[in-house]
Amino acid sequence: MSLKSYSRGRAVHVMLVYTGGCNGCDIEIVNCILSPKFDAEQYKVFLTWNPREADVLVVTGPVTKQNEQPLREIYKAIPEPKAVVAAGACALMGGVYKNCHGDIPSEEIAGPVDQIIPVDAKVPGCAVRPQDLVAGLVSALPLLLNAE
Amino acid sequence: MDDKKENRTVIEAEVPMGTVHPAALEPYRLRLFVEDEIVRDAEMTVGVNHRGVERIMEGLPVEKANSLTEKICGICSNSHIWNSCRTAEIALGIEVPERAKYIRIIMEELERLHSHLLYLAHGSEVLGHETFSMRLFYIRETVMDLLGTIGGNRVQYGSAVLGGVRPRCELDDNRIKQITDGMDLLEEKTTAFADRFVSDPMVISRITGVGVISQKDAIRLACTGPTLRATGVAQDLRREMPEYDPFEFDVITQDDGDVKSQLLMRVLEIPEAIKIIRQAVRDLPDGPITNRSWEMQDTPITKSYIEVPRGTLYHSYALEDGRVRNCVIRTPSMANIGAMQHACIGHHITDAQLSVVQCDPCFTCTDRAIEIIKL
Repeated sequence: MSLKSYSRGRAVHVMLVYTGGCNGCDIEIVNCILSPKFDAEQYKVFLTWNPREADVLVVTGPVTKQNEQPLREIYKAIPEPKAVVAAGACALMGGVYKNCHGDIPSEEIAGPVDQIIPVDAKVPGCAVRPQDLVAGLVSALPLLLNAE
Repeated sequence: MDDKKENRTVIEAEVPMGTVHPAALEPYRLRLFVEDEIVRDAEMTVGVNHRGVERIMEGLPVEKANSLTEKICGICSNSHIWNSCRTAEIALGIEVPERAKYIRIIMEELERLHSHLLYLAHGSEVLGHETFSMRLFYIRETVMDLLGTIGGNRVQYGSAVLGGVRPRCELDDNRIKQITDGMDLLEEKTTAFADRFVSDPMVISRITGVGVISQKDAIRLACTGPTLRATGVAQDLRREMPEYDPFEFDVITQDDGDVKSQLLMRVLEIPEAIKIIRQAVRDLPDGPITNRSWEMQDTPITKSYIEVPRGTLYHSYALEDGRVRNCVIRTPSMANIGAMQHACIGHHITDAQLSVVQCDPCFTCTDRAIEIIKL
């Protein structure tokens, strides 16, 4: 293990970006990292709102048209190496908002997330369970730790 | 307008925040016009997370539309599904069994508990007091566990269906015991927290006199819910709703209208919600939980108001061949946006975020306004 990956493993910063979901996933993710019950902070995973210091981007919500450009820019602002976790049914396939009627895609939704930025890990659920999110974050970690 | 030079106000600088900003959990745009670090004017814009839920609901069968309203908001999901079912029940004249009414009340009050605890946790985080925030998230887990047990999901746990509640939400003796124990634990924990909160001189001095909304302004800006009650107006729709008739509870009011009143308002509403849940569990009537003997018919636009954790929620739609038409939803945060802007004005720029958060904003609920164009 190189010095870089050693130090990266000691402070993984997760940035949560919210692109128009229902708030349920967001609160569960904040809950998962901050609350003493799940407490991802004890494994040195921290929540940040600043893309410049983030390592992992967690995206929730079906990306609305107005959130498409901000999401691309946030993705660009995160330094390499980076990983993207799409969390929740909306982020994976648009949820109920994208195509509720079956044949008429919504005009408001630009998503799902993997059509806009590359996604490394997908966490299903409506809303995501904190346990699942921890599993998703862990599966994305090798991308950070093994990067040159 | 008066264009004379001496009458113009010169705004020194504009501080835009958002739509994605480190201090805000949800995307919204807040423009602060400052003069020597004092906010002189504020403008809030929402609309970034507009998903058009009302448009999607148009033409859906009413049962499907009800379960879609649950997805409007991840915090007050039960309120939306309850009020949507209530609208159709009023329109079609469906009699809801007593037991189902009680279970709905229990779910609604549990939701009020978790929403208020989340508000306090978010408020403490904005204050910079992370210990309180973490402790409140921990207290909140008691409620989330109960909601997960009864509703089957930690977040989208909506209990209501047309004519009653879902069979999943039936309360047996085991669950009643869990609720009773949970309420005892929650009361102990929140009392300890409240004592700690009001006796902390640092916190109290930080929040006193900040973000003041006077009673006159609150009425002028058409505030609703706890935001209005914290300015001294005892307006609570639960007093008018027939569902709440069997229960005894107090309407809490505070006098000052500042951040301290708003936070204490929620702290003091928690024991009232616990009181209602205890009464509902104690007096839970026997009988069926769903009434399936009703017939679908066309109805004109019907409206329904209920009191949700943030204020008054309004749903209205007409039914045509069992499908939803002309759906309109108005959420309490929509009414409180004026108060959020107003509370920033005249205070230091560092208090602006706190002034917004004190009104308990939920912009996911709010962003739905649509324009239906007749072809």
